[in-house]
Amino acid sequence: MDECPEASLVDDARRGGREAFAELVRRHERRVRGIALRMAGNAADADDLAQEVFLTAWKAVGSFRSGSSFYTWLYRIAVNTSLSFLKKKSREANRAPFDENRSAAVPRGDAAPGPESRSTLNELTARIDEAVADLPAHFRASFALVVDQGLSHADAARVLGCSENTVSWRMHKARKLLQARIKPFLEEARP
Amino acid sequence: MRCQTARKRISDELDGALPSGGGVRLEAHLRTCRACRVYREDLERIQAGTGLPEAPAGFWTAFERELEAKLSAEEAGRKRVEVPFAAGRRWAWAAAAALVLAGVSLWLALPRPGPAMTEAWVAADDILDPIVRAVESDPELAGLIDRELQASIEAMSPVGEAEAAGLTAADPLFWESLSDDELRAVVAALEKESGLGGPQ
Repeated sequence: MDECPEASLVDDARRGGREAFAELVRRHERRVRGIALRMAGNAADADDLAQEVFLTAWKAVGSFRSGSSFYTWLYRIAVNTSLSFLKKKSREANRAPFDENRSAAVPRGDAAPGPESRSTLNELTARIDEAVADLPAHFRASFALVVDQGLSHADAARVLGCSENTVSWRMHKARKLLQARIKPFLEEARP
Repeated sequence: MRCQTARKRISDELDGALPSGGGVRLEAHLRTCRACRVYREDLERIQAGTGLPEAPAGFWTAFERELEAKLSAEEAGRKRVEVPFAAGRRWAWAAAAALVLAGVSLWLALPRPGPAMTEAWVAADDILDPIVRAVESDPELAGLIDRELQASIEAMSPVGEAEAAGLTAADPLFWESLSDDELRAVVAALEKESGLGGPQ
C-alpha cells in the first residue's frame, strides 16, 4: 500500500475503500494538521479541524473528479473548514470581522531549554508565530500553504480558488506586516 | 526599480516565483539600496525561523484511531439513513407496484362495446334492407304484413271499454269517491239496464 500510486488509492476510496482512504490519510495528515494549526492557532482546535477535514473528505470523495489533484482538493477542504471555524469563532466571541481577528500563536510545548543561540531562534520562532497569527485569515491561509507547506503560487492559487497574482500579492503583504511587527526583535538580534 | 517593486520581487524570490529576468534587475536595485537589502535579510530570517512544531510521540496513532472510529460511526449512520431503501422495504414496494400494475391491466382488459360491435349493428341493417325493399315491391305481401301487424297491435292493446269499466267498478276507491247523487244515478242506471228495478 505504501508504494501504491495516489491515483489508484483515490479510485479505491471513491468506491468506498476504507483501507485506501486510511492510506491517503496517513500520507496527508501532517500537512492537513499543519494548515489547521496555522489557521486555528492552537493544537486542540487544529486536531478537531483535521479530523473534520478528513471526515468531510470521506463523505465527499465519491464526487472527487479523478482528473484533478487530490492534495489540492484536500487542502482546499482544510482551508475552507478552517475559515468556517474562524468565522464561527469570531461570531461566538462577538469580535470584530473575522479577517481582523487575532488567534493565539502556534503553541510550542516542545521548546526545550538549550544553548543561547537556540533560545534566540526559539524566541524568534515564537514571535513569528504570534505575528502570523495576527495576519488576516486569507493572508494566513496563503502563508500556511506557501511557506509552511512549500506550495508554489500556482498550486496555492488552485487550493484557494484565486489567481497566482493574488497569492503573490498576499504573500508580499503578509511579509511586510510580519517584518513590521517583529522588526524591533530583529533589530536587537541583528548580528 | 522602485523599492515597493523590489520588495514585492523579494517576496516572490523567497517563494521561487520570481519571473525570468526579474532577478537581475532586483540585484541591481539591491546593490544601490541598503534599506531593501536589510528588508531582504529580515525576510530571510523570518523564513528561516518559520516552522510548525512536530506533534508529540504517539499522536498520529491516536489521531488515526479516533478518525477511524468517526468514519465507522459515519458509515453506521449512513446505513441507518438508508433503512427505508433496505431489502425488506424494497420487496414491499415491488409487491405494491405489482398489485397496481395488475389492477390497471385488468381494467384495460375488461370487455366493452368496441368498434367491432357497432360494425355488426350496421351489418344487421344491411341484411334487413333487401327484405323491406322486396315487401314494398309486392302489394299483396305488403297487405298481408300490414294485417298481421294490425292484429299484433290489437292483441297488444290493453283492454276494451267494457273491461275498463269492470276494472273501474272493482276499485273500492272509485265508489268511495262518488257523492250520494252520483251513487243514486248509478243504481238507477243499473236497475234500468238489468230490469231488476221495482215498479216505477
